[in-house]
Amino acid sequence: MLEALTYILIIAILGLNALVSIYGIIYGRSLVKKLISLTILSDTVLVAVIFAGFYYAYPIVPPVYQDLAGTGREFLVKHASDPLPQALVLTGIVIGLAVNALIAFGIIQAYRLAKTTDARKVVETLSGVEVTE
Amino acid sequence: MSRRILVLMLLFSATLIVSFTATIILNPATPSELKELAKYYVLNTINETASPEAVTAIVWDYRGLDTIYETLVLYLAIVGGLAIFKMSEEALLKTRIGLTLLTKTSTKIIALLITSIAAAIAFHGHLSPGGGFPGGSAVAVASMIIIPVFAAGTLIEKGISSTKLVAIRGAALTALGLVALLPVVRGLEIVTNQKFYPASILGLPISGSLSLYNLLESLAVASGFTAVALYLSIPEEAYKGGSSA
Amino acid sequence: MIASILLLIIASLLSLFFVYMAVTEKDLLKAVAYSAGQSITYSILLQAMSTPDIVMTYVAVSVGLYSALLVFVISKTERFER
Repeated sequence: MLEALTYILIIAILGLNALVSIYGIIYGRSLVKKLISLTILSDTVLVAVIFAGFYYAYPIVPPVYQDLAGTGREFLVKHASDPLPQALVLTGIVIGLAVNALIAFGIIQAYRLAKTTDARKVVETLSGVEVTE
Repeated sequence: MSRRILVLMLLFSATLIVSFTATIILNPATPSELKELAKYYVLNTINETASPEAVTAIVWDYRGLDTIYETLVLYLAIVGGLAIFKMSEEALLKTRIGLTLLTKTSTKIIALLITSIAAAIAFHGHLSPGGGFPGGSAVAVASMIIIPVFAAGTLIEKGISSTKLVAIRGAALTALGLVALLPVVRGLEIVTNQKFYPASILGLPISGSLSLYNLLESLAVASGFTAVALYLSIPEEAYKGGSSA
Repeated sequence: MIASILLLIIASLLSLFFVYMAVTEKDLLKAVAYSAGQSITYSILLQAMSTPDIVMTYVAVSVGLYSALLVFVISKTERFER
């Protein structure tokens, strides 16, 4: 019962976090605020991918053998956390940082040209098109 | 302010109520067993890749080609960011004032500690949790605290320019590509591990190419993010002086 | 058993708090601090799921490098959102 409740609660909260950060990306005024929301959204998605491989085991251990002979194989199959989502997320975190650094450089360059980080004013200054609310 | 807290309380209570009712009405079965695919990886990692660490085995052996292309994406993103920020080195040399002597000394000690832990994470990545990506980002944290304290101009004067960092990065990536391509000479598939590379050298377990990949990847990640931090730490006034607008 | 489940519940509830505060904050420096707090709660969540590889990468990148990157960006642009 408690296990099922925790499972549903984490799914609900990860979904809510994603919704709140999408709200921040769409309705945030400043470009920096949009970037912060984007990092939160990517973190939430990565944690959700890890959570897809989660299952209840007591104790739950990392998928690592204690020696090179491979002792404790039976224990590890019953108690190890899922290695495949971990491997996918491991690269995703670092790539996400590099891409967000690229976006950050773009924001700084936009500030140099437009003297503001407000998304609508940046568009108005750089293109001359009026942006309506 | 108060409206903000109210909405937060509403979110919290709605989540709790919805999940309680969903649990009571549905009472779903929770997973209590490892998935079949994961079982295969956990059972066969030592025989097939000579590494007791299933995550590193998947990253650099089972899904090795995928990771090499992701490294390429990382390279392109960082080179693109540096290209936007292109500026002359004379302007950089103006920013040479760091923080006080006390801060500099303590930063040296802390950075040394972080770097040695990062090296341990990177070099033992094929035997214990860790690997190229965590080790490289830990080194990047060390450089991220060194650069504001010592100022970018001082580091460039000492010979740590972003051109050199990008060169280190390119060299590490080339070596990584060579390690991946070398088995083709013997007619094997690209990114082959155990059929081509030895599992141990002089009794030292290196898990074939996994430790090489970890070493080169940590170099690439660390130098790339150090270059990013070097350009970010330069104050805006330095741009108005020297570089082209 | 009960300890790991409690850790999951508390960390996920705290993460909702930090995400909401980070998104609705007008002072961008405070928003970065809340974002770092959210990263710490996610790290606790990942540690409760027993994934040490991810925790090592995630703590270094998300608490260390993202915060430094965003603080640099804010110092080069403007601090308050109108």
